[in-house]
Amino acid sequence: MTVKGTVEYREIGTGAWVLVGENGTTYELGASAPDALLKSGLTVEVEGNVDENAMTLAAIGPVLEVKTFKEV
Amino acid sequence: MKRFLLLCLFVVGLAVALTSFKGLAARGTYDSIVLDFREDIPQEQVERRLSAIAQEYDLSPRLNSEFSAADNVYIVRGDRALLQKLKKELAKSTEFVEPNYTYGIPPLAEPAETESTGDTPTASVPRSQFAPDDPMYAKQWNLRDINVEGAWSETKGKGVTVAVIDTGVSSVPDLKNTEFVEGYDFVNDRAVATDDNGHGTHVAGTVAQSTNNNYGVAGVAYEAKIMPLKVLSASGSGQISDIAEAIKFAADNGADVINMSLGGGGESALMKEAIEYAHNKGVVIIAAAGNSGQNAAGYPARYARVIGVSATNATGDKTPYSNYGAGVDIAAPGGDTRNGPAGGILQNTIDRRSGNGIFAPLQGTSMASPHVAGVAALVKGVGVEDPNEVTEVLLQSAREVSDDPNNHYGAGHLDAASAVQLAMKGKLSWNHFFRWLRDNGYFNLKFWFDGGVVALLPKVLMVLGSYLLAWLLRTYLPLGSWNLATGLIFGSSGLFVLRGLYIFDLPQWPLRVAGSSLPELGTAVQGSSALNPIFASVLIPAILVVLLLGSQWKWFAIGTSLGVASCLAVSAFFNPALVWLGGGIVASLFLLVNAALCFGLAALSAKPEGA
Repeated sequence: MTVKGTVEYREIGTGAWVLVGENGTTYELGASAPDALLKSGLTVEVEGNVDENAMTLAAIGPVLEVKTFKEV
Repeated sequence: MKRFLLLCLFVVGLAVALTSFKGLAARGTYDSIVLDFREDIPQEQVERRLSAIAQEYDLSPRLNSEFSAADNVYIVRGDRALLQKLKKELAKSTEFVEPNYTYGIPPLAEPAETESTGDTPTASVPRSQFAPDDPMYAKQWNLRDINVEGAWSETKGKGVTVAVIDTGVSSVPDLKNTEFVEGYDFVNDRAVATDDNGHGTHVAGTVAQSTNNNYGVAGVAYEAKIMPLKVLSASGSGQISDIAEAIKFAADNGADVINMSLGGGGESALMKEAIEYAHNKGVVIIAAAGNSGQNAAGYPARYARVIGVSATNATGDKTPYSNYGAGVDIAAPGGDTRNGPAGGILQNTIDRRSGNGIFAPLQGTSMASPHVAGVAALVKGVGVEDPNEVTEVLLQSAREVSDDPNNHYGAGHLDAASAVQLAMKGKLSWNHFFRWLRDNGYFNLKFWFDGGVVALLPKVLMVLGSYLLAWLLRTYLPLGSWNLATGLIFGSSGLFVLRGLYIFDLPQWPLRVAGSSLPELGTAVQGSSALNPIFASVLIPAILVVLLLGSQWKWFAIGTSLGVASCLAVSAFFNPALVWLGGGIVASLFLLVNAALCFGLAALSAKPEGA
């Protein structure tokens, strides 16, 4: 799936990176997210999958495992 | 009527005098010594002696006052050791050498509220006798929010194990005194479950941070044991399969409570089954509602057997990040750091990058959940085993939020003191009874030795009986109330040790009066062992209740009534003798009927209106 949105850092628990999608869903960026993506305010288009079996300490939204991304 | 009023005033006045009387056995303290030199020895000799001891012991003797010169009374600073030496050395030249006792108003029995002078935002927070000595405790608004000190008087969670299913737990300095049981690292498949993120250690701190260790911060159930189970990696995420296994591991290895400060994914049959398994083994399971600010908690909080926890801020409002609605069973402090770190939940954890110990103020439903897990451990600590009952206690004791259309708070705000109190209902607590005895001086050895002259057994039964009667009405009585305890003692036994005191040259009747319970007062002056039926009846308790019911002395009147009930009931069996009425069955019946009336009176007046 492809999600367009903005990258943000959320102070929840020990902290989490999210992608606030233009589709109205906030995704938690999974462990596979490359460092280059983890920049607050970055507007990106991410290609990846939601991991239905993942649970996180941030519990802030579906976990999006990133395959590729590009800045828009 | 006027006479009755006067009589009541007399009784109340006497009660006040009795209860503020600290006893004759009190020992003073001193830090100086009085030297009274003989007046028949020359002044030069006195001065020689004074300068000799001044040199030998490095003292500077001074006259007690300008009026002391004629009497040769001098004061020196010194302790017991110096007193003994001076007594020997000055035996011939002095009339006496004795401690210069310090007299003063005795400290209040209840610890006074102290106001710290620090510049912390909690400077005026009252500290109870259970306030721990951890220096950063003042910053833990969250622990005051859940009334944890009120629960610590009963339990600190001893004997209970809380499994923390999280990122692992590291042994930071403020977990040094906390007990651990063996856990497991399901991420790396090894027995040691240390933390590489900082989240699990923080959560474990809220549950059972080492407390009263004069270091750092406090935890909710600090005598409970922690079982660290690592299911989340350093990045903070993990797989449902690992979490389900961890739940089963906890249930199989003696955990009593499971905390899961995590969430995500959909409903999973595997996890549901693991939760059922643990629940059937008696484990209470608690989880964070989730942090997406949405209507409906996430999984695992949403499963039926799991207590889902939403997060509140320091003013008790739901935080913006916290989920609400379906699956939220109760609310607890999760913190809100938008306006600065003081709004967060402060615990000792590790810094993710350096691995060093830090005190971190975090926010999240992750932080709220372990508050509930800690209180569940306290509830289990007082003997409630069944997880359904524990849940019932937690929800019923929560401070309900009346206007909550979107279920932000579930049953309401978590309240540790009320939960433990509710959990203890129906359980006669030796812990509480012994504390009550201690607080009222019954563990003081002097009490028993001095009381030797008085017939001890009936007196002890009267005291125990009054406590048991108060315990029967515990739903309505403030058992920790000083007024109530005073009334119980005044009604049941009086300060009976005073009756055993013998002071040369003093008439004995004042001590007999002070050492008498209310029923004995009618004949205390004469020293008769028979009871006066006016005093040994429901009459005076009834008058006290009528006069004091609307005032803060209400509990004194009710306590007195219960005390008298106990005294009369014991007297009915031990020594049923009444002036005018004689002894035997008539006296016993009179005493028993009045005992029952006194108990009924206390029960009726203790119940709140409409109850």
